[in-house]
Amino acid sequence: MNDTIVEARNLFKHYKDLNALDNVNLNLSTNRIYGLLGRNGAGKTTLMSILTAQAFASSGEALVFGASAYENDSVLSRICFIRESQKYPDDFQPQHAFRSAALFYKDWDQQFADRLAEDFQLPLKRRIKKLSRGQLSAVGVIIGLASRAELTFFDEPYLGLDAVARQLFYDRLVEDYADHPRTIILSSHLIDEVANLLEHVVVIDRGRIIMDADAEDIRGSAVTVSGSADTVDAFLMGRKVLHRETLGSLASVTVDEALNSRERAEALELGLELSPVSLQQLVVRKTMAGAGTAASGAENFTDDVMEARR
Amino acid sequence: MIDDSKPIFMQIAELIENGIVDGTMPEESQVPSTNEFAAFHRINPATAAKGVNVLVDSGILYKRRGIGMFVATGARAQVIARRTEEFFEQYVKPLTLEARKLGISAEQLNTMIERSSGLAQETGTDKERSAAL
Amino acid sequence: MSRTLAVARMQLINKWTYIGWPLTILAASFLMSLAIFALIPVNEGKYGGGSQAPMWYFLVLGIQSMTLVFPFSQGLSISRRAFYLGTLGLFSLIALGMTALYLLGGAIEGATNGWGVYGYYFKIPWVTDGPWYSTAAFFFVVMMFMFIIGFWFATIFKRWGTTGTLVSTLGTAVALIGLAALTTLLEWWGSVGAWFAQQSPLSISGWAALLCVVLAACSYATLRRATP
Repeated sequence: MNDTIVEARNLFKHYKDLNALDNVNLNLSTNRIYGLLGRNGAGKTTLMSILTAQAFASSGEALVFGASAYENDSVLSRICFIRESQKYPDDFQPQHAFRSAALFYKDWDQQFADRLAEDFQLPLKRRIKKLSRGQLSAVGVIIGLASRAELTFFDEPYLGLDAVARQLFYDRLVEDYADHPRTIILSSHLIDEVANLLEHVVVIDRGRIIMDADAEDIRGSAVTVSGSADTVDAFLMGRKVLHRETLGSLASVTVDEALNSRERAEALELGLELSPVSLQQLVVRKTMAGAGTAASGAENFTDDVMEARR
Repeated sequence: MIDDSKPIFMQIAELIENGIVDGTMPEESQVPSTNEFAAFHRINPATAAKGVNVLVDSGILYKRRGIGMFVATGARAQVIARRTEEFFEQYVKPLTLEARKLGISAEQLNTMIERSSGLAQETGTDKERSAAL
Repeated sequence: MSRTLAVARMQLINKWTYIGWPLTILAASFLMSLAIFALIPVNEGKYGGGSQAPMWYFLVLGIQSMTLVFPFSQGLSISRRAFYLGTLGLFSLIALGMTALYLLGGAIEGATNGWGVYGYYFKIPWVTDGPWYSTAAFFFVVMMFMFIIGFWFATIFKRWGTTGTLVSTLGTAVALIGLAALTTLLEWWGSVGAWFAQQSPLSISGWAALLCVVLAACSYATLRRATP
């Protein structure tokens, strides 16, 4: 059974002085919740726009349900992508937007939309133009959830939503996903908030995919070792260092490797402290490592080692 | 409740096992559905299902078609047996190794363990515990 | 096909945009014209030109279809083709309805001697002098033209931004001036004048309709690669 739903091959998107997408290759499968993570401007929205044929790649191929989405009704009718800066017709109220969505999504659930509107305290009869940023986000979130499209993108859906509303969104998403499995792509830079919802994580940085792994595999794939700098450095000799912090003679070093139980025991015996690395920390470290601080970070690392030995 | 130290499905499996061991999930009782676990812990339903399936595979839970998931008879004994074995590997072995390093005899060790479990039974306060140490 | 129809229905969810506002503008400009006609104490034909007010709204409507409705349609994963056909199809129907109103208004106007005050809102000298179908064709084509030109310029803006819009506007202006200069240079004004003198309102509508078709085709070609 081939359950690939999205396939990107060698996608490039060039703007005048910027490579928004730089050779993106990606395979996404059905009925999973994906996290598309990365900094602002990393290329998340560009990638989603190209996959849904709202924008065009400079080169490369994007297949959804095995075909290009461009002008392809049989593909498009199964996709929902309300962008973060979504525009609505001038005179539209939220209720109009929902009735519009109902015309195009065969699985649209109006009762669910009504319930969500109540949850988010969204005024259904106020002009969308006059809504607050959070209410505007709520309109997009409701369309995304209630459309029950087989492939649904959420583009930083939480902008302007307070903590309560964001939690509400995550809760409703999990509940509804459990009852109606589909493929969800959740673009976010609030990683800690969504980490536990994700089954698979794709991290994009400056147009390149720098991480593409199951969330469960990532969990525990890195570790932070802290203790006296000498001991830490000796213990981690030859390992892939992602980040290093020092405080006096103490060091806290994050390595992109898991330790086996023998190594853990050894570390504890040496008086080192081991702490787990959250997905957010890992993404931040990896993104910064990719941002050129990696090279200088490695240099600093040896410098620090030398210093510590002096 | 869920943390970053290890895969979430393992944490879910452990949580259910804890319930079985401490009796909050008696044998032959129904356990919550994976979707309920997912909603409660705010985790991906597939991950919750994976945690539950680990226990189904090892015979601790079983499925009743169309009804749900139940704790198997003998599950508690099975969990305790396995955890006892793990306890030996994780705690007792390092303990005896360390004791040997420090030249603590088996007899001394036994005395210490008895003292410690006595304390545990007294439901001692933190103060007493740290005083004893 | 069903998605094309849905695009049209979607734009009728809020009845104001395509029906309410055009009628309101028509009614308001009509009543205002009538009031002014009544205040002018002259007992011969008075022509106001107020009937062009809805036409300007259609220009704005064409622009907004592209700048606001198109991005929304993309969010609902509607193909550009379905959006284009649904929108233009819907507007054609609206333009037909408006044309019928104009004809009806013109008929009443004629029968009542300009609403009893010799005021002519729907009647335009020369243009509406022909048979009813000639008048109908004229109004319909003008409405379509306004909408499509707004739509196309907005599409150009969507696709190529401010620069593109500026270039195409200037380009059009330069081409028109160039054409006029060429006509002067070749001393063709006489024949151009003669050509116009030969035209009837119906044939003018015909030429304008042809222009509309060209513009509509250009709009579609531009829209094909436009992004929201």
